[in-house]
Amino acid sequence: MPAKRRAAQWPWLGLLVLILVGLAAGLWFATQRIHYEWHWARVPQYFAYHDEELQIAPVAGVVLRINPTGADSRIEIQPEGGGQPVTVTVETETLKVKAGESVAEDADLGAVRSWKIGPLTWGLWVTIWISFVSGLIGMVIGLITGLCRLSPNPTLRWLAILYIELIRGTPLLVQIFIFYFFIGTVLNLDRTVAGIGALALFVGAYVAEIIRAGIQSIPRGQSEAARSLGMSATETMIYIVLPQAFKRVLPPLAGQFISLIKDSSLVSVIAITDLTKSGREIITSSFATFEIWFTVALLYLVVTSVLSQVLFWLERRFARSD
Amino acid sequence: MIKVNKLFKIFEGRNGQAVRAVDDVSTQIAKGEVVVIIGPSGSGKSTFLRCLNGLEAFDDGQVVIDGIDLTASKTNLNAIRREVGMVFQHFNLFPHKTVLENLTLAQQVVRKRKAAEAEDKAMKLLTKVGIAEKAHEYPSRLSGGQQQRVAIARALAMDPKVMLFDEPTSALDPEMVGEVLDVMKQLAKEGMTMAVVTHEMGFAREVAHRVLFMDFGRILEDAPPTEFFTAPKEPRAQTFLKQVL
Repeated sequence: MPAKRRAAQWPWLGLLVLILVGLAAGLWFATQRIHYEWHWARVPQYFAYHDEELQIAPVAGVVLRINPTGADSRIEIQPEGGGQPVTVTVETETLKVKAGESVAEDADLGAVRSWKIGPLTWGLWVTIWISFVSGLIGMVIGLITGLCRLSPNPTLRWLAILYIELIRGTPLLVQIFIFYFFIGTVLNLDRTVAGIGALALFVGAYVAEIIRAGIQSIPRGQSEAARSLGMSATETMIYIVLPQAFKRVLPPLAGQFISLIKDSSLVSVIAITDLTKSGREIITSSFATFEIWFTVALLYLVVTSVLSQVLFWLERRFARSD
Repeated sequence: MIKVNKLFKIFEGRNGQAVRAVDDVSTQIAKGEVVVIIGPSGSGKSTFLRCLNGLEAFDDGQVVIDGIDLTASKTNLNAIRREVGMVFQHFNLFPHKTVLENLTLAQQVVRKRKAAEAEDKAMKLLTKVGIAEKAHEYPSRLSGGQQQRVAIARALAMDPKVMLFDEPTSALDPEMVGEVLDVMKQLAKEGMTMAVVTHEMGFAREVAHRVLFMDFGRILEDAPPTEFFTAPKEPRAQTFLKQVL
């Protein structure tokens, strides 16, 4: 019995590897030409770092004794002018004084060390929560606008059309500036609120169009069947049309929310310290321009990939009834 | 049970011409009566049927269901529709719900029945139409005939006083027509008031109390099936019967 004929895949996969290696080599040569020195070791400290908080003597005096307690040491200082001894706690490893030693005021006694979250982690968190909140609000705005867009009432319909066209016809960057400098000033909004508001309004317009298309893609017979059973227009929308529409628009919605995460980088222009702004700030102190931008890009990629996986999983769950 | 008085439904044609899909139709359907509406395609019989539960807004005239006028401003259309079951040509089952949920949803939402009560009712009806074993399947797993029987059960779950059938077998493969017609025949025997738009002449002959022949939006002939099929008076009914029989 003849087997199914299949064209060989490996020459093409080989070519793919060759192209990728070629690109990497090109990148390497390019940075060689401009004599760029890579300092990847400088990057991790911007995720998290070991912070040393110096402990100083509050008064001039003599160290009475040092009591080790675990990893810490409690230093007791007898003030020069007499009175109650003062206690300072430092980590034993960083201890700089001995018992009996006399210390001046503000003298360095040691340090307390702790892990601190670096600006990259902080920026990543700001990007995630700003995207999440504005996505959520945008979803609500989009749902309402999408329904208004399909309403038989001309006022609602035209308001929805106006809003959608206004948002889709202007750049997000300009919208953020208008929202922050104009609306934000008039209503006295915090910059974060202004940023989230601008993003939510932006994504809402796109979600509205996606939802509208989804609702229109559900056959008329579905709502006719529901209405014939005595359901009201609202009940029909909630139980019959929207669940089916939502399932259909999940892929375009996923794309929209992934775009939102990337677009949220624009709020850095109104001085919200998101991932992009953190990156810019770090570069001014680390001088590791290329490394930081590559890292920032990678972080965005991780977030968007995770989101796209979650939505893909949701999509498969909804596909049960197909 | 149903009174129709001078009903008009006018569609706006593409070139601005008004098309009278239902043109001055008056008739009555008594309680327990089975009326079959036949006629060539485009004769307005489906539109007429859809006017009976207000699914199609009509332009003039009066439809009275069980003493309630559909056009009266106080009338709650949703309240009337729950008393009028409808079965569609393309079944229109809810694809995102299981068969059982298809039957229970409107009972719970519209009739405000408890889940257990609604499920009990649903299972009884599914047994009656012979597909109780498919209760937890999604509609897409069912054949056309099975889907249409579920659709009939779904309409019956609301305890309607009248059942409207809009070409219930037209979208079915020929071998599945019988199972759906059997359910409808049983329903007629139980005394359900039914208005059926169909091309199944056998069903009309066997089950109908009256046959309405429609063309150009008008009822041209209204007669018992024996009379209509043996000696139609209208020349257009005669030509139509010659073509389909």
